[in-house]
Amino acid sequence: MNPRSVLRIARWETTRSAGDVDRRTAVAFVVVLLVIAALVPALVTYGPTPGEGIYRVGVDDDDDYRGVVAAEATLAAVDRAPSGVRTGDADLLVGDGGFVWADSAKGRASLAALRSATVAFNDRRMAREDNQSAAFPVVVTLTYADQSVSVTGQQTGDDAGADAGDQAGDTGDQTGDGTSDGTDGGTDDGTAGTEQPDSERDDDGSEAVSDLPSAPEGGLGGLLGDQQTGTPSSLSPPFPLRSLILAFAFLLPLNVVIQAYGSSVLAERINRRGEPLLVAPVSPADIVAGKTLPYLAGALALIAGIAVLVGAGPLAVAAVAPLAALFLAATFLGAMLARSYKELTFVTVTISVTLTAYAFVPAVFAEVHPIASISPLTVVVDSITGEGTTAGAFVLSTVPPALAATVMFGLGTGVYREEDMFTQRPIPAKLLDALAAPLDSRLRVGLWTALFMPFVFVTELFAVAVLFVAPVELSVPLLLGTVALVEEIAKSLHVYAGFERGRFPRTLRTSLVLGALSGAGFFLGEKLLLLTQLVGLPGIEVAQFAFSPSVVGLPPGVLLVAPLVLHVVTAGISAVGAARGRLEYVLAVLLAVLVHVAYNVAVVVGVA
Amino acid sequence: MISVRGLEKRYGSVTAVDGVSFDVEAGEVFGLVGPNGAGKTSTLKMLCGLVDPSAGTIEVNGFDAGDPEMRRALGFLPEESPLYDEMSPRSYLRFFADLYDVDRAAATERIDAALDRLDLDARDRPVGDFSKGMKRKVAIARSLVNDPDVLVYDEPASGLDPITTNTVVEFTRELADDGKTVVFSAHDLHHVESVCDRVAIMREGELAATGTLADIQAEYGRVEYRVFTDVPVADADPAGDRYETVVESMDDVERVRETTREAGGRVIDIRTRESTLEDVFLDVAGA
Repeated sequence: MNPRSVLRIARWETTRSAGDVDRRTAVAFVVVLLVIAALVPALVTYGPTPGEGIYRVGVDDDDDYRGVVAAEATLAAVDRAPSGVRTGDADLLVGDGGFVWADSAKGRASLAALRSATVAFNDRRMAREDNQSAAFPVVVTLTYADQSVSVTGQQTGDDAGADAGDQAGDTGDQTGDGTSDGTDGGTDDGTAGTEQPDSERDDDGSEAVSDLPSAPEGGLGGLLGDQQTGTPSSLSPPFPLRSLILAFAFLLPLNVVIQAYGSSVLAERINRRGEPLLVAPVSPADIVAGKTLPYLAGALALIAGIAVLVGAGPLAVAAVAPLAALFLAATFLGAMLARSYKELTFVTVTISVTLTAYAFVPAVFAEVHPIASISPLTVVVDSITGEGTTAGAFVLSTVPPALAATVMFGLGTGVYREEDMFTQRPIPAKLLDALAAPLDSRLRVGLWTALFMPFVFVTELFAVAVLFVAPVELSVPLLLGTVALVEEIAKSLHVYAGFERGRFPRTLRTSLVLGALSGAGFFLGEKLLLLTQLVGLPGIEVAQFAFSPSVVGLPPGVLLVAPLVLHVVTAGISAVGAARGRLEYVLAVLLAVLVHVAYNVAVVVGVA
Repeated sequence: MISVRGLEKRYGSVTAVDGVSFDVEAGEVFGLVGPNGAGKTSTLKMLCGLVDPSAGTIEVNGFDAGDPEMRRALGFLPEESPLYDEMSPRSYLRFFADLYDVDRAAATERIDAALDRLDLDARDRPVGDFSKGMKRKVAIARSLVNDPDVLVYDEPASGLDPITTNTVVEFTRELADDGKTVVFSAHDLHHVESVCDRVAIMREGELAATGTLADIQAEYGRVEYRVFTDVPVADADPAGDRYETVVESMDDVERVRETTREAGGRVIDIRTRESTLEDVFLDVAGA
């Protein structure tokens, strides 16, 4: 790649793109951007809180909890009529006898919200004390637990209960044991739960909250355990909603940038406008890099600006940069395959939805669960909230998208040539062209299989993120099937493309050789999955089946050879089918998936 | 200057160019003619490195086709004029001059000179406002910003009005007079006839004939003799109050004369007609 040529093309692309937009439109666009930039942080900071006043708490005006309720936006104080819960006028009653709440998800959530609000209320009060050492004595609780979801949830729920009980009311019971003695509290008639406090009412008449029932939805126990209900505020540690909304702001400009970028790439292909550039003494890589650079730089500038606005640090920008590159790479490849602006619209919308989901869904669990480390937005959230990001989490969230972007740019550049750019062939045919283009030799089959690992990795991570909340009985079989399908396609699709495009002779011997090379390439590339160890992702039960099903319970020799044999055999099966035609390829892949699933099941059973 | 040997291009099961070989000397204007789908454009695209050959070799100025040094020495004009509507000719041409490492002053001088010769005054208006002929002139100017030794023009006057066509034809001849080597394809045989030193006629991906116009006409052209008689003889067609017999040699003319005399008539007139390039083209190209 020639840097001078790249910069010249980048400068030209900037000039040309600027010429695409008339001044009025440009001014309007800048004004809209500035308004959004000014409004988003303001709305998030000062705007109405999501769920404001959704939990109605019946509490007397002179009760100590009145101040707690007033200070929490999601709580609304209502008259403490004894029948309030039954009649539906209140979700929770605070009274002499303790707490009464509706036997419903909302009732339990209101109790959890009150508990969190009480903790926050007490913290604020204690922060105003002169003697901070007395106000915040150091208490160390050591709990040894597996890094499994259910254990983590139990632990956080207990801790939260202890904290709430320790400092409730004016006096605060600083010796509260923080234990939980009930979760359901249902009455016989099933309409409401009640809880009688174990501790005595304090001298001033306030209740100690140390005996607040530990709400079942507190912590991940509610999310992942028997109770599948919960609200953001019931999570402990609290759901970082504001930070997530701010993090989401990083994705918005990327969706705008890819529209402009995709149009620019497709414009080169419409009416053969890019043809003269292909004859110039510059390589396709120079052209692609030059055309991409202004958009990448623009995206990074927007991201940096947003980071400044929302208070995120440089690490957040560094984390989102590979995501921006992935947005652009996917758009580039899509624009190289699309035949019209209509198709391009479909492509960019698909990319937006898919990548936004990939980035956002895991980030929902930021500060809650290691699965969040998949997403670069988690680094943003951590940066905004001031939580640290480990090196492993940073690598896990950034390296896969960066590698996937590189491979996508490579595939797109492979078809950045006259014969592919200006033809109106169907997208699948052009995709096969792109896959077959780099296959100059048989060895390249193995190399490209290894290069596809980022896609495999990203897809499997996403599958884990989607499935890990489901019951294991459902998620594990689904994940085993998904993993097998994704991996078998990754090992064979380019082999099929190679046969279809006449790169290799359609012989049995060639098929077996290509299958062996592809399987070996996958085996080597699979070592990328060791990245998951950096953040302890295999600690999640379902992730263990995805990323390291063979780690436990097998002798070392088998550990080394079994996966290699599996990949070579299944890739060989697919390659034999690929050499014979499309239908045979599909059937062969299905057979390979079955073999793969059988292997995985055998390993899972072995592990169990 | 240009050497093409055993050139082939296959698109799947279709063979677009099949075993084409020719040479073009420096300063020569070489024309490729043939019906649509004969393989002209594919040949030109392989010549300038835009399309990879399936087989065969191409050497331009001592470099293989596609070599960056070859690209620097070559100017290409595609069949269409793919420009960027929002750019002015000047900014568009400067960008390409930049890509070819032409320094700013030389680029400005070269761009102005080319546009002057092509009689294009609107140099700072968006190209989107231009007529097809004006766009063609900008595209031709682009092919010259690097002062190439070799020019490859695909249908340079395609779709233009007669006046612009004439400008482009004359300009092509001037380029050859300046010492440029020009290879171009054309449908317009008059264009070819007025500019080309040598011509290759393509048919179904193959070269059907190559040489100077005189050589081709001598080899593939023919002379017709139209013999007019006052009595009908074998193969004669009525032509007014006379009868016309077309033959292709003087021996045949003598035979007609003898037959007419035996029938009691006489030969009134004999006219000759040589094949035009168009006749040769129709014969050789099989159009």
